[in-house]
Amino acid sequence: MSSDVRVLAREESGIVLVKVIIPHPNESGSRKNEQGLIVAAYFIQEGTVLLNSKPLLDIQLGPSVSRDPFLQFRFFGKKGDRLTLSFRDNRGEQFMADTVVI
Amino acid sequence: MKRRHFLVGAVVFSALRPFQLLASWSEKSFRRSTLQQAFLDALGTKDLLLSDKITIVAPPAAGDSSLVPVAVISSLKGEELFLFVEKNITPLVFRCILYSNTLAFFSLNIKMKESSALYAVVREGEKYFMATVAVAVEAEGC
Repeated sequence: MSSDVRVLAREESGIVLVKVIIPHPNESGSRKNEQGLIVAAYFIQEGTVLLNSKPLLDIQLGPSVSRDPFLQFRFFGKKGDRLTLSFRDNRGEQFMADTVVI
Repeated sequence: MKRRHFLVGAVVFSALRPFQLLASWSEKSFRRSTLQQAFLDALGTKDLLLSDKITIVAPPAAGDSSLVPVAVISSLKGEELFLFVEKNITPLVFRCILYSNTLAFFSLNIKMKESSALYAVVREGEKYFMATVAVAVEAEGC
């Protein structure tokens, strides 16, 4: 399990903007390397975000997301709200993070 | 008394365990297909109503096809957001399920195989609304 996921959640006028970066090669499975061989698919497939332990967002991602996926979303919230994020790639590895809204 | 302590411990332990992912990734929705088939696979319909309440923010021309910033924004009370790239091998890029506190906004960097139309779809109740925009890719590098 990796904890490299970077999250920033900032509140302004009752709306929280969340920025997430998941360090990951995110190979689509259709790219060829210098030898002309297909690089195996290796990408983030799904994620869940909880706000104060309640569901806020579920996300399913395909292979055409860039390297080191950078996601942004917004919700109605306040400073001090707790966010818990969990992502999983196609090899079953989990990436988790939590943060407090500032 | 001991039993009670044990039960309290069990509750605390289960609360600390990593939670299960609620979303279930759909092989079918993300498979190689045409755009029309991808609509059917992901949405169950091709009947999409063109809406001016959905905005796709994307560069009209992208210098790096492996890093195209795209945002989908809607003033609809969206319950789900989708993004499709017509010319990509697997057209569906993401499916986003929104709960009551979440705004209809999602942004991420995507890969594009070639110049293509982007389609954003928002589900509101039983209806699917759609907006489209074209992005030109200057150099292929997917």
